[in-house]
Amino acid sequence: MTTVLELKQVTKTFGSGHKKVEALKNTEFKADRGELIAIIGPSGSGKSTFLTLVGGLLTPTSGDVILNGQNITKMSEKERSQIRLNEIGFILQASNLIPFLTVAKQMKLLNKVKKGNMSVGEMEQLYEDLGIGDLRGKYPSDLSGGERQRVAIAKALYSNPSIVLADEPTASLDSDRAYEVMELLKRETKSKKTTSIVVTHDTRLTDYCDKVYYMTDGVLKLQEEN
Amino acid sequence: MFLAWNEIKKNKLRFVLITGVLMLVAYLVFFLSGLATGLKDLNRESVDKWKASAIILTEESDKSLYQSSMFLDQVEEVNADETAVIGQLNAIAGNGSQKKNVSLFGIRKEEFLMPEVTEGKPFAGENEVIADDSLKEEGFSLGDELSLSSSEEKLTIVGFTDKARFNAAPVLYADLETFHMVKYGEGADANNDRINGIVIRNGEGDVIQDDALQVIEIEDFIQNLPGYTEQNMTLTFMIYFLFAISAVIVAIFLYVLTVQKISMFGVMKAQGISSFYLSKSVIAQTFLLAAIGVIIGMALTLTTGAFLPAAVPVSFDLPTMLIYGAVLIAVAIAGALFSVLTIVRIDPLKAIGG
Repeated sequence: MTTVLELKQVTKTFGSGHKKVEALKNTEFKADRGELIAIIGPSGSGKSTFLTLVGGLLTPTSGDVILNGQNITKMSEKERSQIRLNEIGFILQASNLIPFLTVAKQMKLLNKVKKGNMSVGEMEQLYEDLGIGDLRGKYPSDLSGGERQRVAIAKALYSNPSIVLADEPTASLDSDRAYEVMELLKRETKSKKTTSIVVTHDTRLTDYCDKVYYMTDGVLKLQEEN
Repeated sequence: MFLAWNEIKKNKLRFVLITGVLMLVAYLVFFLSGLATGLKDLNRESVDKWKASAIILTEESDKSLYQSSMFLDQVEEVNADETAVIGQLNAIAGNGSQKKNVSLFGIRKEEFLMPEVTEGKPFAGENEVIADDSLKEEGFSLGDELSLSSSEEKLTIVGFTDKARFNAAPVLYADLETFHMVKYGEGADANNDRINGIVIRNGEGDVIQDDALQVIEIEDFIQNLPGYTEQNMTLTFMIYFLFAISAVIVAIFLYVLTVQKISMFGVMKAQGISSFYLSKSVIAQTFLLAAIGVIIGMALTLTTGAFLPAAVPVSFDLPTMLIYGAVLIAVAIAGALFSVLTIVRIDPLKAIGG
């Protein structure tokens, strides 16, 4: 197994003096290709901080985040923005869809801004895998919550990122839809040999994951390994 | 352009509104500029027609042609390529049914002030005049006998010329003798060497020696026509103010739209789409809206202009309109920069909740 993501002695503190908050305490973490990992924890436990560090949105107070062999902590905001664009697929809580673009055009936008574009065939395959082929001409406001998350996953998987980061991807869905979305994410992670990290407080989802970590007060612990 | 255009397509109403406002501003700018040009022409077109470089008036007249008085033989002291003498007075001319304020130019037929006749024939003898063709629209025609408010003399229109208005009054061109008869009546013979000024082309070195005379550049002379500068400045000021207003309108409008989209921009930035790309999109959007507004405004102005009665002094100068149009688009984009600043400042962290 090749390691895609590695965190070495990463800490993150906010504020200073008596307002100092240690959001992430000395964390070691490794994710391999083809793994679906869940990070579970109550709100305020530091799991979002973890996600922002891995996603290159924040830099750690100390330690290194190594993505695909590149140390992203040493990079400028501009370089990290490029990494986010080309190496990371985001699936966000509400929806990361642009309200005034149809599903097909959401994809077209990625096609415009990303390197390493998908061929028409790959694109069709992606539509088919996620079962969103019929939604192409629709605007996000015409989609159901589950459909929206499927499109969001398609966007995250566009042009095969090294890693997919999902922040509460099932938050607005009922159980059936939530399972469906997780099932899909698992299948795509395996077939595309990408790595997915799902941050959630929803313990229903752990069955789908290869590894489940639990986070409390900034400490990350491996809980189970399926 | 991709984002810009798709957003406009999806949210037609709000963009139609802003384009509508820009269109109205553009319409007003173009119309005011047309009015400014029209009023300028009204004052200066007869002077422009001279194609002269300067005019010589007495020093004490303070650049007013009407107030200046000199002798005919002073033209011989003038050092210039070409010279032409001019006598001028204002009067009310009537043909029996219509009355109109006119400006009478006394000139020599063989000098360059002589206008080209577009209808009829040049004046040949006493009391014959060539009139500005705007008088035709006022109900005057060839062969009309004109009585003047200040004189017993009767003048006959024998020809018309175009673009000959001086300080808002249509010009009547006559020879110097006729001018003297009108101005001095019975004293004409005693004053037949009196003129108001000398118009010159290409003066050289010291054009005149006489300290009582003053050489005035044509543009300077025009600026000093009664009311000319004041009128122009008023309209120009209004136009500049409209530029500022349109910048502010666009700034506010786009800013509100941008603020509404902050979370969307945050998500896009988290996904690695650069501020540059998003800013470009806002600029492109503004450019589209402003350009559409300006083009419709221009079309509307020209259409309105075609239906206005001749009494409204509008005249559209296409180069000026194009410059103003470009300025409007430029200030709209300047207004959009405010939103660009907001976009650059959006923190992609906002996209990740909790």
